[in-house]
Amino acid sequence: MRTKLILSFPITFLIIFFYLPIISIIHEGLWDNGLTLKYLKAVLSNSYHRGIIFFTIGQALASTLLTLALGLPGAYIFAKYDFPGKSFVKAILTVPFVMPSIMVALGFILLFGKQGFFTQLIGRDLGILYSWKAILIAHAFYNFPVVVRMVSSLWQRINPHYEEVAMSLGARGFTLFRKVTLPMLLPGIFASSMLTFIFCFLSFSIPLILGGYRYATIEVDIFTSIMTLLDFKIGSALAIIQLTLSFVFMYIYIKSLDMYAKAEEQRVFRRPQKLTLRELIGLKGLLIGIYSVIVFIFIISPLLAVLYDSLIFQGRFSLEWYRRVFSAEYNPIFGANTLIAIKNSLLFGFSAVLLSTTVALIIAYALHRWQFKGKNIFEALVMLPLGSSAITLGLGYIRTFHRPPLELLGTWYIIVFAHTIIAYPFVLRAISAVLKKIKPNLKEAALSLGAKEWQAFIKVELPLALGGIIVGAIFAFAMSIAELGATYMLYQPEYTTITIAVYRFLSARQWGSASALSVILMIVSAVSFMIIERVGEEIW
Amino acid sequence: MVSVELREILKILGDFRLEIKSLKAKEGEFLTLLGPSGCGKTTTLRIIAGFEKPDRGEVLFDGRVMNEIPPYGRNIGMVFQDYALFPHMSVFKNIAFGLELRKLPRGEIEKRVLRILKLVGLEGLENRYPEQLSGGQQQRVALARALVIEPEVLLLDEPLSNLDAKIRERLRGEIKRIQKELSITTIYVTHDQEEAMAISDRIAVMKDGTIEQVGKPLEIYYNPKTEFVARFLGLSNILELEAENGKVHLGKLCFNVGRDGKVKIFFRPESVYITEGDFAEIVGHELLPGRIRLRLSIEGNEIIAERFLEELPFKIEDMPKSVGVLIKSYTIL
Repeated sequence: MRTKLILSFPITFLIIFFYLPIISIIHEGLWDNGLTLKYLKAVLSNSYHRGIIFFTIGQALASTLLTLALGLPGAYIFAKYDFPGKSFVKAILTVPFVMPSIMVALGFILLFGKQGFFTQLIGRDLGILYSWKAILIAHAFYNFPVVVRMVSSLWQRINPHYEEVAMSLGARGFTLFRKVTLPMLLPGIFASSMLTFIFCFLSFSIPLILGGYRYATIEVDIFTSIMTLLDFKIGSALAIIQLTLSFVFMYIYIKSLDMYAKAEEQRVFRRPQKLTLRELIGLKGLLIGIYSVIVFIFIISPLLAVLYDSLIFQGRFSLEWYRRVFSAEYNPIFGANTLIAIKNSLLFGFSAVLLSTTVALIIAYALHRWQFKGKNIFEALVMLPLGSSAITLGLGYIRTFHRPPLELLGTWYIIVFAHTIIAYPFVLRAISAVLKKIKPNLKEAALSLGAKEWQAFIKVELPLALGGIIVGAIFAFAMSIAELGATYMLYQPEYTTITIAVYRFLSARQWGSASALSVILMIVSAVSFMIIERVGEEIW
Repeated sequence: MVSVELREILKILGDFRLEIKSLKAKEGEFLTLLGPSGCGKTTTLRIIAGFEKPDRGEVLFDGRVMNEIPPYGRNIGMVFQDYALFPHMSVFKNIAFGLELRKLPRGEIEKRVLRILKLVGLEGLENRYPEQLSGGQQQRVALARALVIEPEVLLLDEPLSNLDAKIRERLRGEIKRIQKELSITTIYVTHDQEEAMAISDRIAVMKDGTIEQVGKPLEIYYNPKTEFVARFLGLSNILELEAENGKVHLGKLCFNVGRDGKVKIFFRPESVYITEGDFAEIVGHELLPGRIRLRLSIEGNEIIAERFLEELPFKIEDMPKSVGVLIKSYTIL
């Protein structure tokens, strides 16, 4: 019983740094000397805000469809075939997990802008940048690896006997797929679609930078309402609408995840078919090759564009941008410089890792190993932060922590707390995934051999869960490093992070400096990427 | 050597209700909990181990109440159905685990691990990892790991059910041998009645969360107290007949039942002897290695007889239409 007291730590943390801010937003948006709906009405009757709400949902739907179109063929290829270079393509697909969206947005500007690489190649401006098209493509970039991962994993688990029986009964070709295979894949397709949809629904950096002034999401709308117009009432009303919708989506997602988990439990594991040399040089090989090349171009080209741009100064190869980034004279960041920004990013990143991993580990352990009263409610309460957004959180923090007893605005650790709340649901997922795989009777075996609870945990469960914990920690680090919205709302000049600095350079239209700084971000992310590869834990 | 006792145990898990009035394994005894799946035998074992807390009642080791003592304080060794070998540790590390927790010196640990490996017949495999072992080998490692800490009580939860028949038979002999050698109080869970008969000093038959009968293997085999026990332990003949003046007549058979009205008479197929005669009609037969199983009908009541071939009063090739029957022992249920 005493060990369960440790649960009070994550619970207290969530109450203060998630639920209190959310309640303050609800209060702000629905209260004016009494309950009022006038701010909600003001938002809903305004055609600008209404348009944004529809656009947010519409672009999320369209992005999800594009993501599926890109991801499903990959899921098929990965589930069915073994081919040379498969592990390399797989590794490339991990990249979006750790790449900051601001850098990807910059890459898109460099590729599709007026002077952009693709624009030059084709000879005319495709009108992709600063429109809904750029938003959709960037969202697909981020999410199609999720579809490939979830659907192919399910595909491999479809018992071949089902298809064989269907074939013996006369089904074949597309009929076989439609009647037998597809229904069995649906949980995977649905769950990964919901995840993509939620990501796009709450997307911030990408529409902010790539959408131009005409295309904004609710998230961007809240941000401008508060930071530019200083209208907290309207901002809160928008946040309430967003929260309500995203909780509904979250609920559907979690339900679909249950279905997915059930389907994935199938013990059958089909080995991918090794392609013969003949097949490789045939049609199958060609299609796999084309897909691999598309993946490669899609994921790598924005990164290469950033790298290339950072090294070209006035048409010549030079390190001038890097010199400028580190010198004081060209610095649009006030009260800080690039070195301080790097230091801040690392400080926030590591602190968020420590905090979110601790919180997530305790929660995951409680969810998978302990029985206690009110566990269902507990589970729902710890999952809710996944449905909140960075900007909403930032708004809540501004409202909650600007006065005693919790006057925390302006401190560096309030930023860490925000990053922790944003990152920990993902850490929780990574750790839950490995804990689920560790059989509970391993711990019981240790207990029967004389280990105390904590010894059994340290000696048996922790080493087995380590891979998942590391992957979770890296997610947290990557998210903290890349976080823009909440940090922007909460930071003081001396707490500028690399991501904020890149955004500053972007706003000042200093592409070269932005690229040079992004390359630094890219190096940090690349280290994360390599650690994930080394750990070898299947985040796949 | 300790005795293990359960008193007035009650455990409710959802719809399932486990209720054990009293059950005792004596010092050094091999007691088997036998029953179909879902009867509560594994739960009973987990209560003894301390993984489950009973809602009511007491678990006693040598008369000491163990309810509040956690599993690691009970000095038990446990073998799980799927072995639960730590996948990140070698065979040596797995077996040494309990000894390391007891802070034994290095040399002592090594000595004991090697000794136990020899006992279970796994010398030379100490550096392998669990995934590199066959099912039978994994089972031996699990047994070694449980035994090396010299527990006072050994708990085995269907330890052989994941193995194929031949290995199962060999290993159950070895488990019995090791248990006798160490004379360790053992509680064994299985749903396989043959295994239970072969290995146990006593068997407790369980059904729907209660104990139906406890006794020595032959005792519960030949003198079951309930129809469930009778049927669960093997082929059985149960005749439901009407008794008059304390007797039941069937063909030329006469059973002394000592009461009147409806009675159930139970006997095993091997208690049925075949004689010359004609009141039992042969309605079918089945040849087994060296034996024959006959289906006989006496006045519409079907019974099964099982005999060695050389005991028959006729040759298989010219089997008569009907025979005489003698039933040497029977019980009233």
